[in-house]
Amino acid sequence: MPSPDFSRDLDQHRGYLMRVARLQLRDEALAEDVVQETLLAALSGSGFSGKSSLRTWLTGILKHKIVDAIRRKQREPIAAASFGDLESEVDIEDFDGYFKENGAWDARPADWGNPESALDRRQFFEMMDFCLEKLPPNTARVFMMREVMELETDEICKELTITANNLWVILYRARMSLRQCLEQNWFAGKNAPS
Amino acid sequence: MIRNALGHMISCKDASRLMSRKEDAPLTFWQRLTLRLHLSVCAACMRFERQVRFLRTAMQMYRS
Repeated sequence: MPSPDFSRDLDQHRGYLMRVARLQLRDEALAEDVVQETLLAALSGSGFSGKSSLRTWLTGILKHKIVDAIRRKQREPIAAASFGDLESEVDIEDFDGYFKENGAWDARPADWGNPESALDRRQFFEMMDFCLEKLPPNTARVFMMREVMELETDEICKELTITANNLWVILYRARMSLRQCLEQNWFAGKNAPS
Repeated sequence: MIRNALGHMISCKDASRLMSRKEDAPLTFWQRLTLRLHLSVCAACMRFERQVRFLRTAMQMYRS
């Protein structure tokens, strides 16, 4: 029987789990279901050994629940359309805006100084939320699968039935967008011009 | 001078794609070589490389 302390500890992570689930699934109700399932599994399952941090352990459970939810959605004909859009998100011409015709940077990356110092600031992660929300939904899902759930290329390709090249284009697009957004909204003006 | 020519065998656009791909799959020997040569002559792309690596660190912290 889990202690009341453990239940309370779990609840503290609800906000974080909701943020991840929301970004992945783009469906508030579904995200709530998945987080509920995660917390229930955490309370009733084989138990937390204490070897990793609680958040890491919960993220592991959440990952499986999200993948299950995505699989269930894919079986539904209506929901299948949302991953069908993946192809149109893969159009490479869209990011020519970052480069001139000759392949040189249109706007050269700025000097971010010591970006690691931003990682101490809660506002920085709020800005990351903002920048992640700007990504097209399927792009964000795929990026989170790679960077938060840490799935490998072949796992993601198998899960979404896309080619490795498609995947790399999507991740490239996500990184270009995220980098630019963080530069414009956080790092620009925080360092001396160079 | 030769290094400058070699460094421009690939464009910044090509380099940016390679730097992103490197985060997800190993590059071929040739890709690694042309990328490294480009980075040795392009400060903008060097910044980009550091920033892409920082993005991964930031995402790791974001998840925990």
